[in-house]
Amino acid sequence: MLDISSLSRSYDGKLVVDDVTFRVEPGRMTGFVGANGAGKTTTMRMILGVLAATSGEVLWNGAPITTGQRRRFGYMPEERGLYPRMKVRDQLVFLARLHGADRAASTRRATELLEYFDLGDRADDVLDTLSLGNQQRVQIAASLIHRPDALVLDEPFSGLDPVAVDAMASLLAKEAGDKPLLFSSHQLDLVERLCDDLVILSHGKVVAAGPVEELRGQGPDRYRVTLDGADAAWIRDLRGIEVRDIDGATALVDLDGVSASELLSAVVAREPVREFAAVRQPLSAIFREVVR
Amino acid sequence: MSTTLTPSPESTHDDAVRGAWRVVAEREITTRVREKSYIYSALFMVVGVIATVVLTSILGGRPTDYMVGVTDQASAGVVSAASDVVDRTDDGSTATAKEFGSTAAAEKAVRDGDVDAALIAADGGGYEVVGKESVDSTLSSALTSVASTSALQVNAEKQGIDLDALQSGAAVSERLLDPESSDSGPRELAALVFLILFYITAITFGMSIAQSVVQEKESRVVEILAAAVPIRAMLWGKIAGNTVLALAQILLLALAGVGSLALTGETSLLSALGPAVAMYVVFFVLGFVALAGLWAVAGSMASRTEDLQSTTMPGQVLLFAPYIIAFTAGAGVKTVVSMLPVMSAMLMPSRMAEGGVPVWQIGVAVAVNVIGAILIVRLAARLYERTLMRTERKIGFGEALRLSE
Repeated sequence: MLDISSLSRSYDGKLVVDDVTFRVEPGRMTGFVGANGAGKTTTMRMILGVLAATSGEVLWNGAPITTGQRRRFGYMPEERGLYPRMKVRDQLVFLARLHGADRAASTRRATELLEYFDLGDRADDVLDTLSLGNQQRVQIAASLIHRPDALVLDEPFSGLDPVAVDAMASLLAKEAGDKPLLFSSHQLDLVERLCDDLVILSHGKVVAAGPVEELRGQGPDRYRVTLDGADAAWIRDLRGIEVRDIDGATALVDLDGVSASELLSAVVAREPVREFAAVRQPLSAIFREVVR
Repeated sequence: MSTTLTPSPESTHDDAVRGAWRVVAEREITTRVREKSYIYSALFMVVGVIATVVLTSILGGRPTDYMVGVTDQASAGVVSAASDVVDRTDDGSTATAKEFGSTAAAEKAVRDGDVDAALIAADGGGYEVVGKESVDSTLSSALTSVASTSALQVNAEKQGIDLDALQSGAAVSERLLDPESSDSGPRELAALVFLILFYITAITFGMSIAQSVVQEKESRVVEILAAAVPIRAMLWGKIAGNTVLALAQILLLALAGVGSLALTGETSLLSALGPAVAMYVVFFVLGFVALAGLWAVAGSMASRTEDLQSTTMPGQVLLFAPYIIAFTAGAGVKTVVSMLPVMSAMLMPSRMAEGGVPVWQIGVAVAVNVIGAILIVRLAARLYERTLMRTERKIGFGEALRLSE
């Protein structure tokens, strides 16, 4: 379990990460979202220890994290980087050996990861001859090469096609297993699909954090009512609701004091209903709401 | 994509990280020796060393075995006496008589180049030195002086004259104050070659450290490395790897030099230079390690390869200064500088090649270098840690010193 506790960082007196606290639960994918410049990358670099925190701390299983433990993390930095003129397998083996694995085990592991990404035949090619998408896969392989205890990945899915995203997501699910996994992304639909937990950062502060379902639940109960008639404008007259939108026979309403069944009976009492459905708030709506 | 991922191998991670510098050093070495430019430049320098030795040997003159054609015993006696004179003039050279049946046969041998010259008794008494186009001056003067001395002796006896009395007061002898530096030409050349080779090798591998660091910054791989191993392990690895490479190149060059000296028969020069070559290697390692830290810092202060030009300036000056001093400074300045760290690595061996350096000065130079290397590397490690992760722009030395952790 990885706890980020009151982390702050300032550059030249300007606070870019402000008292950030959240938890990355083992076995759950935690998405880290926020606008550009919200402080995601700075926070992740502080978790890894490549950047010193101005204040606050990182806890591993409840105790302040040690350098040795940090080195057991898998990290994918925002700015991608491997040796451009080194062979793909060679650099994975190099990184694995830096983490202390012997050469034979490192080679096996590198080959295994490359094969998973269908890059087995490119193992002896120099990295910068690979397409950007394939370089990205090698980068992910680099973060997994030493079988890390926790994963901190900065924008791991950017630049990947949908098929590659799925492959990577299932690999991450398999590799992370019961380990904490934190990844940042600006692709909200992806985060929505993959994540169990969510941390939303805005201007260096955590504005929302928790299980995705719970965050969604924080919004009002919204229903879409489609009448059999032509005009739903009269729904505005009902009590205990707030109408968000009327479009012909369809109304979008938030419950404000009545239950869904009370609303439905009130509507049916006046006109036949063709459709009555709960509207799940997309993450983007939550996001826009909290970072406003 | 149905590969099963094997379970995690057990490894004691902290122990392993301590060995990380070796992995870094290994990468430095294997990456470098795979580069064609590295191989070519090393080969080029080896060829340069061999060419220098061979050229020195040709210009400095090699011992010659003169072959002189004769037609009678008296001439043969003159030639064998002349052999001693030739040896005195040109160390190791000899003159040998080869007997022919007739003057014509001896002349034919000269014409064909079978002998260097012929010594023929002339009809009216005396001798004739016969050459093809010219007669080697050493041989000619030796033959002339021996022949004339022996004729003089014979004539003096016939006339009843005491030759010694006649010659008294006419002898002029030579006394050398510094016989050691009799081969000062080749020694100075050797010292110069040392200087240049040290300079080139130190610059090559120093820049190689700086480039290796800045390339990791430029490609951003440094972020992953810093998350994986202590930053110092990367520094030690780079210093170790490049020192090994530089040492290998220096040993190769020393071997090429010693080998070609032995093959060209320059044994007296070899025995004079041998200890200097050994010290040269020792000093080179000390000087290189001391400077290696600075090169790494030069790399870590740069944010792009182009920045190296300015950040490597202090290292370049430290290397170039002794080069200037070696040519321009007086003996006093040279003596002092040859005991300072880094610079001594260049000046002391070249002074030793020139000869006459007191042992205590060599001791001081070694001690100062060891201490200097330790201090510089420690300072460098701190600067390196402070500057390595700052990839956004170039950092100056002053700023690096003021930076907080």
